[in-house]
Amino acid sequence: MTSVLKAAPDTSGAAAPGRLRRLLPLFGSLQSYIGLVLIFAVGVATKGDIFLDQTNLTNAIGNFASRGILAVGVTLVIITAGIDLSVGSLMGFASMAAAMMLFHHDMPVWQIVPLCMLIGAAFGVVNGVGTTWLRIQSFVMTLAMLSIARGLDRQLSDNASVGTTVAGSDGKLTPNSEAFQSLGTPGHNVLVGILGPDGIYFPVLAFFVVCVVFHLVLSRSRFGRHIYAVGGNPTAARLSGINVTFVVIAVFTLSGMLAGFAGPIDAAYSASADPMAGNGYELDAIAAAVIGGASLAGGKGTIAGTFVGSLILTLLDNVLGLNAVSDNWQLVIKGSIVVFAVVLQRPDLLGGLRRRLTHRTRTDRSTEEK
Amino acid sequence: MTTVGRVSPPLLAMRGIGKSFPGVRALNGVDLTVHAGEVVALLGENGAGKSTLMNILAGVHGDYEGTIECQGEPVAIHSPRDAARHGIAMIHQELNLVPELSVAENVFLGREPTTARGTVRRKEMEARTAELLAGLGLDVPPRRAVKHCRIAEQQLIEVAKALSLDVRLLVMDEPTSALADAEVRRLHAVIRGLTARGVGIVYISHRLEELEEIADSVTVLRDGTCTGRRAMARTSRAELVRLMVGRPLDELYPRRPEQAPSTPPRLTVRGLTVTPPDGSPAVHGVDLTVAPGEIVGIAGLMGAGRSEVLQAVFGQYGTAARGEFTLDGRRYVPRSPGHAIRSGLALVAEDRKAQSLVLGNTVRFNSSLAALRRFATPWRTVRRRRETTAVREQMTALAVRTPGLENSVGLLSGGNQQKVVLAKCLLTRPGVLLVDEPTRGIDIGAKAQIHALMDRLAAQGTAILAVSSELPELIGMCDRILVLCEGRLTGEFHRDPARGPVADQEAILTAAMARHAVAAAPAAGPAGAPRAHGAGTGAAPRPPSGTASDAASDTASDATSGTASDAAPDTDSHELHPKEPRS
Repeated sequence: MTSVLKAAPDTSGAAAPGRLRRLLPLFGSLQSYIGLVLIFAVGVATKGDIFLDQTNLTNAIGNFASRGILAVGVTLVIITAGIDLSVGSLMGFASMAAAMMLFHHDMPVWQIVPLCMLIGAAFGVVNGVGTTWLRIQSFVMTLAMLSIARGLDRQLSDNASVGTTVAGSDGKLTPNSEAFQSLGTPGHNVLVGILGPDGIYFPVLAFFVVCVVFHLVLSRSRFGRHIYAVGGNPTAARLSGINVTFVVIAVFTLSGMLAGFAGPIDAAYSASADPMAGNGYELDAIAAAVIGGASLAGGKGTIAGTFVGSLILTLLDNVLGLNAVSDNWQLVIKGSIVVFAVVLQRPDLLGGLRRRLTHRTRTDRSTEEK
Repeated sequence: MTTVGRVSPPLLAMRGIGKSFPGVRALNGVDLTVHAGEVVALLGENGAGKSTLMNILAGVHGDYEGTIECQGEPVAIHSPRDAARHGIAMIHQELNLVPELSVAENVFLGREPTTARGTVRRKEMEARTAELLAGLGLDVPPRRAVKHCRIAEQQLIEVAKALSLDVRLLVMDEPTSALADAEVRRLHAVIRGLTARGVGIVYISHRLEELEEIADSVTVLRDGTCTGRRAMARTSRAELVRLMVGRPLDELYPRRPEQAPSTPPRLTVRGLTVTPPDGSPAVHGVDLTVAPGEIVGIAGLMGAGRSEVLQAVFGQYGTAARGEFTLDGRRYVPRSPGHAIRSGLALVAEDRKAQSLVLGNTVRFNSSLAALRRFATPWRTVRRRRETTAVREQMTALAVRTPGLENSVGLLSGGNQQKVVLAKCLLTRPGVLLVDEPTRGIDIGAKAQIHALMDRLAAQGTAILAVSSELPELIGMCDRILVLCEGRLTGEFHRDPARGPVADQEAILTAAMARHAVAAAPAAGPAGAPRAHGAGTGAAPRPPSGTASDAASDTASDATSGTASDAAPDTDSHELHPKEPRS
């Protein structure tokens, strides 16, 4: 059992299980993989031919990619023991901003995307400043921001959708619109030639890259350590020399920035920016993070977990859609899966439940004896 | 088998109690007997099984092996409600009060007297609370919110809560770990009052001197088994330690004799004045110096401002802490904990769980948290291998018992957690180590190890400033002891009789309670304090003086404004030689 830690000359023997132990939590909890496999199995069993089609799977991920990107940002915030409810609205605002930049100003996509990220980051800074300097609970602050950003979005668009497929005088898409659409329309693949003849569908690429980048930030960087410390025990973090205020503002800013990045992708995917785009996405994002093992109490969560959580929700949407389950039941099933996933991640909870049940019976018996 | 002979059946008899947790055999065949009116001390190192045994008694762990008898009747305790029905109450080390509720609401929490309509009969509740509190000699308005009560008062409120339940057996887990000596005496008086009424007490504490004073008999646990039951009066401290540790412990305080510091002080503080914004006790004009290799202690009652001095030096109050500071002769302005760590200070905070550790995270994560800069690449990522090597070295040096570096720090025992906190501080390679209650609530083996570590660090040239509520610890470990009372210095004692008054418990306590003199004087000035330390800044706590605005400026270059520092404290023999500031 416990032993005084030795200087460990036998590094060769200790390294293998040590590395494994380090790697395992990195990929999220085992339970979420089981969930993933289960859903996959159901998909194959019911609609195998359509489900396994590569187009279907890419489309499924593409459909969820913007929410997956939001989930990454939300995960950062959740690890610091905060919550970001505003990401859906921020994404909506960014998608509207992107569409208007394209439609009204014919801006090239390489300008639109960074600008949208800046806009999102600016909203994120406000969220961060509100929760730190003004000491508003993040739930309240970002709930207010959800409302504010949505209102601004609708005001900006005058409650009308703005299309992103802008036809030039020749009836074809303008070059800028063409390029913009490659952000999210199936078939408009990027890196064609570099990644083979078909290239890759951009939302899938973006989601993967965002996951990898933020996984590295969380697991390798000092800043990542600081995020976990702030969520685990803010006082201890401060006394360890960490600038807690900075860390909190930074994670809200990053979350806002990622929402800004998801905006143009979502607009391109739907070929237009709807004033209500992204409505409710924050809940899917939070659900993905939670299924992936993040705890709203803070200090816990990984990007790998969130990635798996996103895939579960993606495939779930897809499988249920293919099987023509009604939207209403889809919502019920999705909610149940969140509860199920969270309980599965708490073996202590299951054990406690079992103990309590056995005690109940034993106490009943002992009182009966009297 | 009881050492205290009595005829009537014991109040409580636990026989052959066993309990297993997944992978751990926590208790094995433990017996515990408590008679009416008896104080039974339960002694053992952390992890010996004391808490498990008491949690079984309190109904927290419902499934256990063995039998429990209350007044000769076999009983089954499967839930806290069962325990309450048999008149058993437990006061946990971490108090279970709701800070936002009033004293009365806390005492009657869950059992509020109600009218027929279901509303709470507030008046009656408050009257009965006042009665209970008066019985304990506690003068706190029943309507005051518990968060405004001091720890010692909260402790007694817990006792009142237990008494309102018509308790026959009261378990107190480390009731004095957060109390200063005077408050301990008061609590003991209350305990004697309870035993006179026939209440049995199980008293868990690590402080042997306290047990000698209050306990009738003692039961010692080690590794989940009972290693001895003795009458307290006939048992020597050495024997108890042997029963607990399983080996004789010859040196709890390994401190070498005081050596006159030959070097200039590493840390000097002049006229430290701070009024913490969070309502913690204020500090008025405190002067102190710590030389490399020196251990300086700060004694005082609860609320004397001991921790606040450390926190102010560590930058926790930022520039709200006024005064003049130097580190190695250079001007130092406390700005933030991060700045303090970069300047070579480290703080072992008072409450390791709340202030020092991220409990859900690993030993490695916690140990390296303050020193990540040391392992950083230019890309601001962490060099994992170097980090692991450095942490492992510290774990070995401190003899931390942990299954591995990747295990959660929350699962370690208190002593090992404290060692991780120390490792975290030491990894920053501090020149000045500030320690606040370094051995609170940890077992005697770990305590001796931590004392030895402090001695070793001092020998290596670290300057140590230590706060402790345990006077024997301060007297045993410190070269000098400063006594604080109501935020002012009221005494200074030495280990070496040649250098000043010698530290003994009576003298320190007298100095620590000098507040009676202060309380008699109007609160406006420091006139009541026996000795006014320092010049200028200390005299006027509130209005911002010229010196204060100096301190607020961050530039290290204008250190020459600190020339007033030649007013060295009276008993302090060495002079200050502020070096020329660099840059």
